[in-house]
Amino acid sequence: MTFWRQAKEIARKDLVVEARTSEVVLMTAPFGAAALILIPLAIGTDAPLLSRLGAGMYWIVVLLFGVLVILRKSAVDGPAQTDVIRLLGVDPAARFAGATATTAFLLLLFEIILAPVVIALYNPDLRGWPWLLLILPLTAAGLALLGTIAAGVTTGLGTRISLTPLLIIPLSLPLLLGATQALEGLRLGRGILPWLVLLAAVDLALAVAGVLAARPIEEATA
Amino acid sequence: MTALRSRWLELLAIVALAASLVRSFTVQADVTQGDVQRLMYVHVPSAWLAFLAFGVTVFASAAWLRTKQDRWDRLAAASAEVGVVFTALAIAAGMIWARPVWGQFWTWEPRLVTTALLFFIYLGYLSLRKAVLDPAVRARRAAIMGIIAFIQVPIVYQSVNWWRSLHQTSSRNSIDTPLRLTLWLAVLAFTFVYLALMRRRLELARLEDQLEARHADSASELAGDGVTIPTLDRVGQNV
Repeated sequence: MTFWRQAKEIARKDLVVEARTSEVVLMTAPFGAAALILIPLAIGTDAPLLSRLGAGMYWIVVLLFGVLVILRKSAVDGPAQTDVIRLLGVDPAARFAGATATTAFLLLLFEIILAPVVIALYNPDLRGWPWLLLILPLTAAGLALLGTIAAGVTTGLGTRISLTPLLIIPLSLPLLLGATQALEGLRLGRGILPWLVLLAAVDLALAVAGVLAARPIEEATA
Repeated sequence: MTALRSRWLELLAIVALAASLVRSFTVQADVTQGDVQRLMYVHVPSAWLAFLAFGVTVFASAAWLRTKQDRWDRLAAASAEVGVVFTALAIAAGMIWARPVWGQFWTWEPRLVTTALLFFIYLGYLSLRKAVLDPAVRARRAAIMGIIAFIQVPIVYQSVNWWRSLHQTSSRNSIDTPLRLTLWLAVLAFTFVYLALMRRRLELARLEDQLEARHADSASELAGDGVTIPTLDRVGQNV
């Protein structure tokens, strides 16, 4: 079986498990939407202020609650499933690619569900919105790549739930900067190419790091 | 005399630090900022040494992945610990300096924010080490994280150039010679402090490993040969 076929099968397996539980759609996304409702109650319900802060709040919720998507129960293979995958001879890099693809897809879904919520509640400036078709997937892919690596090095640890976010959140700074500054650039009518390049470069660097680290991670969790 | 010989690096660090302190307090003050500028002789060397320490961590992590020798893992861990201390010192000195100059301890300035995140990234790295009990697994996972965590270092370094904000860009070539020489003396003193701390931390790590091995031996005596803990030198044979 080729590398891509293996990755596709791993992604398909993860998506089937996620489809059975609907964890992201039925649990994490409503949780994120509830946070978007609560934030104005804490910072004030001033409409112009909320309109200005809307995009930033959206990305913060995507980042923090996106960690829940990465840590979802359905993403955790038990020792038995992991052993079977190893015995089948699945390439660790293909496993990494498959797991990342599923997480990226689910993070994108999470972003798409939350976008109308933030538009309805905060009324943000939507100038240049078609660029979101590029910004959303790039950010989702970067967060998924970072999350899959971090989740890999914390696999099986008792402190996984606390430790993984600590590893992901500070390292996600370039993703948060790229996403927020691109939207700010659109709002101000400035060029956003440098921010898109930053997002793409971070995605590429993390993809390379993830593929190279896949085998050592696999050996560390064996 | 033997004890003195074994502590020559610590003595050198103390002498250099004392000389740097004396020089920092006696050199002319900056015309604009006054005495508060003297904090530069703590802030700048701390930040540079933090970068160096994290550089050593990434190098040692890569060396461990290549050789599987436990000395590289010890070096990576020790350097990250010392780097975190220097990062905290750089942040603290910067905040004390910022209060009279910028009017507040903290401002949402790219260099400050990225440095604070650097601190948390390496706290995460040290937490990961603490969370894994098996030394072989700990070394492998920490090596991966030690390499990935280094992504933040160039971001911190370049933040003053990428996002021109309150924090000044590198000024080592634009300051007066007496001040520049004092800064270099401080960098030298802090480098000796780094080396002395590293030496002590590595010794401590070796003792910790010996203690761990002794505990493992006593566990074997009690429970039989079936109970052993994995050691780093076996890792290469298992993969």
